[in-house]
Amino acid sequence: MATRAQPGPFRPAGSAGAEALATGGAASAGGPGRPGPLQDETLGVASVPSQWRGVQGIRRETKSCQTASIATAEASVQTRKHADAEVQTEVPAPVGARTVAQHDSPRLAAFLRRVEAMVIRELNKNWQSHAFDGFEVNWTEQQPTVTCLHTLGYPPAQGQGLHVTSVSWNTTGSVVACAYGRLDDGDWSTLKSFVCAWNLDRRGLNPQQPSAVVEVPSAVMCLAFHPTQPSHVAGGLYSGEVLVWDVSHPEDPLLWRTGLTDDTHTDPVYQVLWLPEPRHSHRFQVLSVATDGKVLLWQGGGAGQLQLTEGFALVVQQLPRNTKLKKPPRGETEVGATAVAFSGFDPSLFVLGTEGGFPLKCSLAAEEAALTRMPSSVPLRAPARFTFSPHGGPIYSVSCSPFHRNLFLSAGTDGHIHLYSMLQAQPLASLQLSHKYLFAVRWSPVRPLVFAAASGEGDVQLFDLRKSSQKPTVSIKQTQDDSPVYCLEFNRQQTQLLAAGDAKGTVKVWQLSTEFTEQGPREAEDLEQLAAEGDVAVPGEERVQ
Amino acid sequence: MQAEVEETLKRIQSHKGVMGTMVVNAEGIPIRTTLDNSTTVQYAGLLHQLTMKAKSTVRDIDPQNDLTFLRIRSKKHEIMVAPDKEYLLIVIQNPCE
Repeated sequence: MATRAQPGPFRPAGSAGAEALATGGAASAGGPGRPGPLQDETLGVASVPSQWRGVQGIRRETKSCQTASIATAEASVQTRKHADAEVQTEVPAPVGARTVAQHDSPRLAAFLRRVEAMVIRELNKNWQSHAFDGFEVNWTEQQPTVTCLHTLGYPPAQGQGLHVTSVSWNTTGSVVACAYGRLDDGDWSTLKSFVCAWNLDRRGLNPQQPSAVVEVPSAVMCLAFHPTQPSHVAGGLYSGEVLVWDVSHPEDPLLWRTGLTDDTHTDPVYQVLWLPEPRHSHRFQVLSVATDGKVLLWQGGGAGQLQLTEGFALVVQQLPRNTKLKKPPRGETEVGATAVAFSGFDPSLFVLGTEGGFPLKCSLAAEEAALTRMPSSVPLRAPARFTFSPHGGPIYSVSCSPFHRNLFLSAGTDGHIHLYSMLQAQPLASLQLSHKYLFAVRWSPVRPLVFAAASGEGDVQLFDLRKSSQKPTVSIKQTQDDSPVYCLEFNRQQTQLLAAGDAKGTVKVWQLSTEFTEQGPREAEDLEQLAAEGDVAVPGEERVQ
Repeated sequence: MQAEVEETLKRIQSHKGVMGTMVVNAEGIPIRTTLDNSTTVQYAGLLHQLTMKAKSTVRDIDPQNDLTFLRIRSKKHEIMVAPDKEYLLIVIQNPCE
C-alpha cells in the first residue's frame, strides 16, 4: 500500500497536500479558472507519509489477542478434573464415618487408666499360656484322603486322540472348562479341536457330555475364564490367534477374535490371562504370550475384533545381563515365552517363563523400545528387568505365590521345580520331582506352603513345605498308563477341588483332604521364613499342629 | 491429657505379640487406631455389635452381673475387648505357641 503514489487511501494525511498542489498547479497556467492546454506543470513531490510503523503496531495488537486465546489451557485442566471424577467412581462404597480425634480427651484418658492394667495382665497371661496348645476345632467334615470326584471327557475329542492342554475354573467356581489340542505335534495341524465346559453344580451331570462345546478350527493351547463374567473364556490357538467365547450361547459362542493380522502372534500362544485395565478396573484386557517372543495386550473392540493396545517383545540383546546365559545360536534374536504369571501384590509386575529356561522379571510399565523388526501397529517395548538363573530346559509353567510378594515357582522339562525370590537370581530351593518333564505348577490359593505339580509320569504331586521339603506329601496317580498330566488348576471358590487334565483327554476333578484346605496356625510366618532362608524349620522342632 | 492417652496406647501396642490396638466410642466409631482405615472400621463395627450382644447375654442370665472382658480366640490370633460405658478398647494379639 505504501508504494502507491496516489494519496487517495491516505486521505487524512495527504489530502491537504494534494489540494495545495492542485491550486498551485492551476495558478501557474495562464488566467484563473481556465486551465492551460497541454502545458507542463511541475508538481511538487507527492509524498506519502509512511504508515508501516502504525500498521505494524496494529499487527502487534492482534498478536496479543492471539496469545490471549491460550485460554484453551483451561480446557485441559477440565479434562484433568474428569480424570479425578473417574478415580472417585472407582473408589468402593465409603467405608463409614471416620472421625477425627475426639475432643473429649479427659474422659478417654480416664477410661484408659481404668482398663490398662487389666488389658496388660491379660496380654501377659496370653503370651505365656499353654491353655490352647494342641487344641484344634473342626468346623467342617474331615476328609482324610484325596478322592476323585468326577472324571470328565468328551468322546469325539478323545477319539481323535487329542490331549487336554489347559483347564480353567470360572469365577463362580462351578464350571470347569478344558481345551483340547496336541502338545507333541511339531507341525501346523489343521485338525479341528474343542473347548468343553462342564457345570459341576448342575444335577444330572453327565461326565461324557459337556454342558457346552465349542468347535475351534485349530488346536487350542491355553484357556482362561474371565475374572468376573461367569461365561466368558479366552483361548490361545496353535495358529497364534486369541479368541474369546461366551459358553452360555452354544449356537454362536465366538465373541472376539484377533484374526490373522500383522499384530497376531506368529507362533503358538502358550498362555492367556485376563488383566484389569489400568484406568477402568472393572473392564479387562487379554494378555497373550507366545514363543515368537511377543507379549501382547488385547482389548475387545467393535465388530468382534480384538484390538492390540500394548505390546512387548523379548529380544536376546535386551535381556538384563545380571545372570550369565548360554549364547543363543546365531541368527536367533527372539526369546520365546512359554508361561506367564502376575504377582497379586504388584499389578504391573509379572514373571515370564522362557524357552531358554530362565525366568524373567518384567514390568508392564517398561518404557524402552524393543529392538525387533516384527511389524506391529503399536510400538513394542522391552519389558525385562531381571534375569533369574536358568533351569536345565525350557520352562513350562510359573506361578506367583498369593501370600508372599517375592516368591514364585517355576517348573520345566528338567523335572525340577525351582523356588525363586524376586530379590535374587539364584533359586532359593530346587526340588527334583520327576525324571520326565513337569508341565504345570500352581500354588494353593488357601495354604501358603502348599503347591501342586503335574508331571510327565502321569501323577499330580502335592507338596506341603511344612511337612517335608524333599518329597511330595501326596502323589495322585491320574493316568493308568503313565501318560502325562498336562495341566492343573485349583478352584478358588471351592478350595478343596483341584482339576487336572491329561494326555488321554480326560479331566479329573480331585477333592483334596482337609489338610490341604485349612490353614494351620503359623503358616504365614513359616512362609516368611521360607522366603528369607530357603527352608522351613525342620519338623520336630517345637511344632504345634 | 493427650500425651497420656498416646502413651498408654503406645505401651499396649508395644507389648509382645500385639498386632493392633484401637479405641471405639459408644456408637461404634473408631477414635484411635494403629491399623489401616478399612480394617479398623471393619473390626470396630463387628466387635461393637458382638460386645453389645455379649453384654446383654450376661445381663439376661443374671441381672446383677455385667460384662467385664471379652476374648475371642481364633486360629490365627486372639482379639481382646475391654468394654466400658463410653468406650471400647480392642487389642489384637498373635500369641506365640
